Order: sequence, then C-alpha cells, then structure tokens
Amino acid sequence: MADLKALAKKEQKKMVFLALYAVLSGVAIVSQAYLLVAIIDRIFIQGTAFSEIVNLLIGLFAAIFARTIFQYQSGKTGLKMAAKVKRELRDAIVRQYSLNPVQRTIQGQTGQKISALVDVVDEVDSYFSRYIPQVFQSLIIPIIILLVIFSEHVATGIIIIITAPFIPIFMIVIGFKTKDKTEEQLEEMSRFSGAFLDTLQGLTTLKLYGQSARQKEAIRTSSIGFRNATMEVLKIAFQNSLVLEFVSMLSIGLVALEVALRMIVFQDLSFYTGFLMLMLAPEFYTKLKDLGSAFHSAKESMAAAKKLEGEFANSVQPVTWGQEKFISEKPPAIELKNVHFRYPGNEEFALSNINMKIRPLEKVAIVGATGSGKTTLLHLIAGLVPPLKGEVAVNGKLRSKYSESSWFNQLSYISQEPYLFAGTIYDNITLGSNQTVTKEEVIEAAEKAGISALAGSLPNGYDTFIGEGGRGLSGGEKQRIAIARAFLKQPSIILFDEPTTGLDLQTERFLQSSIEELAARSTLITVAHRLHTIQQADQIIFLDNGKIIASGTHEELMDINTSYRRMVTVQQGGAI
Amino acid sequence: MKDLFAIMKVMFVEKKDIALSVLCGFIAGITAIGLFSLSGYLISKSALQPPLYTLMILVASVKLLGIISALSRYGERYFSHRGTFTMLSQLRVHIYEKIEARTPAIFRQFQSGDLLARIVGDVETMQHFFLRVCYPPVVLMLVFISTIFFTSFFSFWLTMIILAGFLFAAFLIPAYIGWKQRKIDYSVRKSRGDISTQASEFLYGFRDLKIYQRIEEKAGQLQEAAKKYEAEREREGIHKQFAESINIFFSLLISFAVLAVGAYFVTTNQLDGVFLAMFVLIALTAFENTRGMAVLPSFLEDNRQAAIRLNSIFTEEKAREWGNARLQLEKSPFIRIEDVSFRFPEETRKTLSNVSLALPPGSKTAIVGPSGSGKSTLMQLMLQIFPVYKGKVYFNEEDAIYYSQESIWENANVVLQENHFFYGTIRDNLAIAKDGLTDARMEEILAKVKLNHFQLQDRVLEKGANLSGGEKQRLAIARALLKKAPMWFLDEPTSSMDALTEEAVYRAIFEAAKEDTLLLITHRLTGLEKMDQIIVMEAGKIVETGTYTELMEKKGYFYDMKQIERSVFYHG
Repeated sequence: MADLKALAKKEQKKMVFLALYAVLSGVAIVSQAYLLVAIIDRIFIQGTAFSEIVNLLIGLFAAIFARTIFQYQSGKTGLKMAAKVKRELRDAIVRQYSLNPVQRTIQGQTGQKISALVDVVDEVDSYFSRYIPQVFQSLIIPIIILLVIFSEHVATGIIIIITAPFIPIFMIVIGFKTKDKTEEQLEEMSRFSGAFLDTLQGLTTLKLYGQSARQKEAIRTSSIGFRNATMEVLKIAFQNSLVLEFVSMLSIGLVALEVALRMIVFQDLSFYTGFLMLMLAPEFYTKLKDLGSAFHSAKESMAAAKKLEGEFANSVQPVTWGQEKFISEKPPAIELKNVHFRYPGNEEFALSNINMKIRPLEKVAIVGATGSGKTTLLHLIAGLVPPLKGEVAVNGKLRSKYSESSWFNQLSYISQEPYLFAGTIYDNITLGSNQTVTKEEVIEAAEKAGISALAGSLPNGYDTFIGEGGRGLSGGEKQRIAIARAFLKQPSIILFDEPTTGLDLQTERFLQSSIEELAARSTLITVAHRLHTIQQADQIIFLDNGKIIASGTHEELMDINTSYRRMVTVQQGGAI
Repeated sequence: MKDLFAIMKVMFVEKKDIALSVLCGFIAGITAIGLFSLSGYLISKSALQPPLYTLMILVASVKLLGIISALSRYGERYFSHRGTFTMLSQLRVHIYEKIEARTPAIFRQFQSGDLLARIVGDVETMQHFFLRVCYPPVVLMLVFISTIFFTSFFSFWLTMIILAGFLFAAFLIPAYIGWKQRKIDYSVRKSRGDISTQASEFLYGFRDLKIYQRIEEKAGQLQEAAKKYEAEREREGIHKQFAESINIFFSLLISFAVLAVGAYFVTTNQLDGVFLAMFVLIALTAFENTRGMAVLPSFLEDNRQAAIRLNSIFTEEKAREWGNARLQLEKSPFIRIEDVSFRFPEETRKTLSNVSLALPPGSKTAIVGPSGSGKSTLMQLMLQIFPVYKGKVYFNEEDAIYYSQESIWENANVVLQENHFFYGTIRDNLAIAKDGLTDARMEEILAKVKLNHFQLQDRVLEKGANLSGGEKQRLAIARALLKKAPMWFLDEPTSSMDALTEEAVYRAIFEAAKEDTLLLITHRLTGLEKMDQIIVMEAGKIVETGTYTELMEKKGYFYDMKQIERSVFYHG
C-alpha cells in the first residue's frame, strides 16, 4: 500500500499532463531566449526601428506568461496528485485501524498512531508534489534545450554533452554520501532536542536538588558542541554544492569562451547565435541541478512511506461474527470451552485452557494478581478479542454465529477509565443507547448513577462540555458516566472493571449501590478489587498467570485453596 | 511582531556571524550580477570586433567574478548556519533560565498536554528565523542598492524601472502573499486540530466505540476530518505555488520592461546599444534573488506563532519575590502552618481553606484523604513551591517568607508523585543528590531500597522509561536517602510497590529519618500505627487529627476509610 512508486503508477493521467507541461515549459523557455536575443539583435546589430520589434515584444511577453503558467500547472498537478494519494492513504489507514480488534489499539502507542495518520502521511507529500514534477522537468527541458543548441551551434552542444554528465556524476559520487551524513546529523539533532526536553521536564527535580545552575552550563556547552559537530557535516555538504557550482560555471565559461573566440577571432559566428547560446546554457545546468534538491525530499518521503508500511503490515486476526440475531429475553448463559488467547508479538503472556460456565443473572468475580490476565479474560467474554483456540458459547450457540450489533446491544462494559468524548455530559450518556431516548430517561439514568449532583454543581449542568478540550472529570466520575450509559441501555450482560484504588467514601457507596441495581436484571462479570464484591459473588474465577487455578464461592475457595486464602488474609493484615 | 523582536534580542547576541553572512551574501549577489552583466557586455562587444586583449581582460574578469561569487555563496551558507546554531543555543539557555526561575510552580501549567514539547519544537522552528526571514532581505536590499547605483550611471529610467520592480518584488507582493497566507494558515491549523482530536477520540475510545457500535460512524467522521485537512493542505500548497509563480512572473516581467524600454532608448539614441544585453542580464539576475522572498511570509508566520508562544512563558504573571535569607538547620526543625488558604488561579474552588497544623521537631506525620482533598497542595505550600498568599508557614517559628526557596529545598528530602529521571546511568541519576558521593555509598543505599539488581552503570532512558513504576519510586527514595537533609516530604512515595518491598523501603526511610521531621502523604492506611499523628483531609479541610488508636476509637472519617480499604483488594 505504501510503495510510492506503485502509488505513482496509478496516476498515469496526471503523469501525462506533467510530461506535457514539461514539454510546453521547455518550448516557452526556448522561445523566450530566441525572442529576447532576436530583439536585442534587431535593435543593437541591425539597428531597426522600435515599431518593428513590437511584435517580437508581444511574443516575448506571451512566452514569459506561458512559461509561468506551465510551471504553475506542473506544480499544481503535483500537489493534486499528492493530495489524492494522501487522501487514499489516510482512508486506508483508518479502515485498517477500525477493522482491528481491541487488542491492538490498547497495546500500540496511540500517540504514535495519531502521528502516523497525520504527520507521517504528510511527509509523503513532497515525493508527489515536488519530486515527480521535477523529474519530468529535469529530463525533458534539458533535452529540448540541447536539441535547440545543436540545431544552432554544434560546438556548444558538444561542450555541454561532454561537461553535463559531470553534474549527476558529482551528485552521485559525493552528494549522496554526505546526504546520508546530513540525515544522520538531522537525526542527531532531534535526539539533541529530545535531551533538551528531558532536562526541562526534570527541572523540578534538578531544582529541588540544587543542580539547576550546573545544568544551564551543560546546555550551553552541549549546544555549542552540537553546533560544531553539525557545522563539520554541513561544511562538506556546502563544499559539494560549491563543486557543482564550479562545474556548471566552468562549463558555461567554456561555452562563452568558444563563442567569443568564434565571434572575434574566426568571425564565423553571428551575435544572434552566440548570444542565444549564452542564454540557453545556464538554463540547461540549472534544471539539472534542481533535480538534486528534489531528490533529497523524495528520500524523506520514502522514509515516511516505510514507517507507514508498519501500520499496514501488522495484521491481526479479527473477531468473527455471524448473521444470527442475538435476542435475549432474560440474561444469557455463557460458556468458555478450552479457550486460548495470546497477544500477537507477545510470546510470554497468554490465557490458556480457560473453561468456565456463567449462568443467567449470576454475579461472577474475576480475581488474581496484576498481569494474571483478568482484563484480557473480560475482553474475550465481551467479544473484543478473538479466541485463538477453543470456543465461546452463548445460550448453547457459538458467539461467532451472532451478529456483532445484536450482541453488543446486550452488553455494557464499564472500564476503569471509560473514554469520554468531546461533547456535553448529556451527549456522553446518550452514547449508551442506540434508540432515541427522551430527556427524562437520560436524566433518570444520570440520577441513578449519581451524576445529578455533579451536573447540578456545574453552571451549564448536563450541557457542560467534557472530554477532549472540556472539563476534566476524575476517574470515579468517569465511571459514573459509564454506569449512567448502562442504566440507559439496560443490557443483559454487564462487564465491570472495579477501581484498583480506594475512592472517597461517597463515590464508593454510589458505585456499589448502582452496580447492585444494574445487576438485578443482568449477568454481572466483575474484575474485582473489593472484598465486598468477592464475598457477594456467586462464582469467583481465580486467575494466575493466564490459567484458572480455582473457581467457586468465597467460602469454598477459603476452604480449599491456600493461595486464595493467603491472598485474602494478607490483604486484611498490615503492610508496614 | 513585538514578540519576534523580543526573541530577536535574545538570539542576536553573537554579531560576528551575522555580519559575515550579510557580507558574503552581498558579495555573492553582487558578483553574480557582475558576472552576467559583464558577459552580456562581452558578447555585445565581441559583435563589434574589438581588439583581442579587451576580450582577454573581459574573459578573465568574468572567470574571477564567477569564482568569487561561488566562494562567497559558500561563505554565506557557512556563516549563516553557524550563526543560526549559535542563536539556537542562546535561545535554549534563555528559555531554560526563564523556566528555571519559575520552577516548580510553572509546572502546573505544563502538566496538561505536552506544552514543554511544544516549546522545544518552537525553539527548533526559530532556526528558520535568521536563515530565511532576517538576513535575506538585508542582503537583497544591499544588492539592489548597489545595482541601482551602478545602473544610474547609464540610464535614469531603466534604473527607475528596476527600483519599482524591486519594491514590488521584495515588499508589496510578499506582503500581499503573507496576508493571504495568514488566513490559510489559520484554517490549516484548525483542520489539523480537528483531525488530531478525531483520531485520538477514535483510538482512545476504541473499546467504548466498539461496544456502542459507533466505530463506523466515528471512522467516517475521522475520514471526513482527514479529507478536510487534506483540502486545506492542498489549498495551502496551491497558494504557495501561486506565490512562487507570481514572483517568477514578476521578475521576468521586469526584465521584459527593461528590454522594451531599453530597446526604445537605443532607437532614440538615449542608450548605447552595446549596453542593452547587459541591462537585460542585470535585471534577469538581480530579480532571481527576490525568489526567496516568496517563501518568506510563510516562514515569518511560523516564526511569529512560535515567538508568541515562547513569549507567553516569559510574560506570565510575575512570580512572587522570594526572600533571600538562608534557612540553616542544625537539626530537625519545628514546622508550623497557620490558617493557610489556597486557590489555584484558574480554579473557582479553594484547594485549601483555613488549614493549620504543627509538626514538632523529629515528629512523624501522615496526611491521608481521598484524591483531590488538597494533600499534595498542602505539602507543596510547606515547601514554598507555590507562594502562600493567605496564612503563614513557619520554620522554627520564623516566617518562611524570608527564606529563599533554594535554601528550604537544600534542607529537605523530597519525593514527589512524579519524579524525573534523566537519560544517563543509575549513577548519574543518583549523583544529583549531593556532591562527592562514593560508589560504595550509592550501592549501599540501592540495596536498602531493594534495587540491588541494578548496577550503577546501568542505563536509564529518558523519563526513566525503562524502569517500572515501583523502581522509579525506589530510585527517587534512594536519591532522597543520599541527600540526608533534616526534613522529609514524601508524597505517596510507595504507591506502585508491592507490600513486601514497601515495608522494606519504609524501614529504610524511618531508620534514616529517626531524628528528622517527616511528613508523609499516603493513600494506604496500613502501617500508620507508628506515626506520631495522622491528619485526615477532605475537600481542602482538615477533618480529623490524632494518632492511629485515637482515630480508630473515634469511629469517624478515618475509621470509615479504613473499613473501605479493608474491603479493597490490592492484587500485589
């Protein structure tokens, strides 16, 4: 997907236009030179009247105008091509992201993904907007100029043919090597500004330890040290362009010398032809040199494309769904048979051989140490990640037979950090329901979840903006929003990730009572961090290292399982 | 604009490179014009069949000019880049000083978002300021003044045409382009903000979106935002292309005008025909230099934005003047707070209201309470991290207002909730505690906080990214233990540790702090039996004070919290 050459091939129509604009530009450049020389020749050598050159002047104006227009069109075509490619790339990336099961978005660094979508795609731009148009210009226009030169004065043509290859040769021999070095240095630069950021972020620590003055000197010296290192590299780069400059100058100088000698000594060359050669030769070399800088930006684009490849390559198995509608008059029975799961690229962690049965309306508590796989098990039950092996059955039928929407319609997931979308409190609660709901229903749900007091304390009430760019809510408040969503939805299955830390007294009480109220009509599966929750559970699943090591009620487990017993009693005792 | 001038003052300290860049740029520009005008003259002269030696002189001088031009172009590039890097280093140090002066209070501002990262980015943006915005117009002006001076010897009107063209190409057209650019920039930034917001909502909210079956809808919105952003980018690109084309067209047009008028003057004998080609080539070459002016507005706008943001950190409301007396503590101090109230400027609610407490010398005090109750703010006020406007803090019954912040911190072992670790080694990160620490001493302390699985030379990544939460906390505590000051301020120092490690670490702290005054904020209520006093806070107020047994017997707020904690299950 991110192969730039392949992407460019799809834009053949635009390529044809680019070639056409290059040819037309070449013709305009040549015409401009012809007309300009002709005018000066008439006036200076032939001494004609001004009125006789008016037509030529009009022609020259037209050539100048045409030259600009075609250059502009060429650039614009490149930009359009770049915009189209980038649009398609972004579409494909978003599609790729949305097809993924939950695991990847949770695993992968979200910041990096956003920057891939926005900035890295932008970096692809210059390949299409600058490099490709420049390639056409640098290939076609010099050929046109050369043809004209040959037709007018063969000697100049020969000088150019002999000297011109030196420009690409020098570019290749010295240019590329230093370009790599320059790129290295640029990377070094981003590392360096990273270190500066590191120091700034640590200023509090430095100041509390009285080290900030010393650090200032360190910044100054390392800044200057970095400058000197960079200058060493840049010096080579500048020397290279100096060499290129000398090559083209020398060549133009040769052309001029030959022309002058022929005009003065041999007197077999007219002013007209000689001047034309002098006008055209620089244009030829400039176009060749332009390719070098365009190539540099193309390389940056290629590096960006490579980064994007990673976004496409990492394909994971999606969750499979069927067609059947999942209707549940009463909460369903859920069964996991021999389920295995492993995150792709993470060999260490796995859920293995999970067998469990959840009866309708049961309260299930999943317990276990950090990293034992509690949340992953919740994701498996929810259908947010696919089982690698084994099956998840609902009401005796494979969950994968049901349609995705009918399943999720019956499910609420209250995570520890529910995501709030940019919008009002009201909007965030109504997200819970797919049906249209009345304002009364929303407010009732909010009241049951204990949000009414929060809303009441805000000047705009339920219309207060929260989420990105809005008012920040605490973890407990976010969970209450998620609970309000669940009240509105009235699902038959509730998945709940209990807070790991103690909240303030009031929030604790609210959380407990509203979850209990929700559980009256639904199957409740909790990743439990409260002794109360565990004691109330009909079934406890005790996870260790991705395996169920025991299950049963609290009393049963206290009797039969020593590690469970130890876990509970350690909790009761003191730590220090 | 005044923001840019303020930054300029900081940046343009080193003048040598600036002068050299301008000088080299000027020589490069003027010799290039000389080179082309001379070859125009040369070819015209050749047509008149002059003696051979004039030709030799001319050819030699053309070559010489070419070499000088190329060399000074090299010099211009070299000096302008070196100058730029020197300026960036000036700017970095300056920014560091500014932020340092307001640290740690200013960090409240930096908490939200990556403001700091943006500042660093803005500093990088300023590298274009000198390179693309400042000196090119100066060079251009000098080159044109010299050109006009030269041409004025030949023809008044042609000089006027060049002058008018210069004013247009260097000022009027870029100004118009810049004016349009600003509007476009605004919409690009806005649509960029939209796509970032949509993307982060889509990715962070993925699980909820999936369950609420809004993935398709949200993906559609994201794609829509991406399309809008791309449309804006495309508009921006086309505008830049247009600006460039206008500039090229105009510079060609001036040469055209010079040719037309010059040709007319030749026919009316106001100008010698031998100079016609020279004039045309002067115009063509001179106006090639104005092409850089087409991109100037967009760099200027970028720099202006960056300068505004950088200045906003300089001109933030003036920090309180801190006292300059030195707090010197021979032994552990008596710390007292009297009727302190505090409100953060951006908040309507008070964070603390009328808080008074006393920490006797050598006492151990714990503050507990739900998050948001003002515990950390209280500690930070005692440390004078934020200025106390209402109420008083006393060290040994002396008002803290007279002491310098630095001298208070010198006497305190502080572990905050967020502790910073620098890119480097474990040794580097411990060494900032105090001068003259031996390796043996560091290793001893590492063992005490159960970090003996680390070697002193082990690598620590930026922000301690390769350390776990508990390891970072232990490293921070190790740093405090090495410092050995007589006051301790610990803000949830062990929240990410398991119970066993926590116990060992506390043992090390309390052993080291036996004689010292210690204040500990904790979210866990276990092991508080040993504390001399426990302060319970809620909503910015102290609701209970007492020893563990007193509070438990009282069956008040602390007792209720304890009950909840008993029921909360921490899975080590």
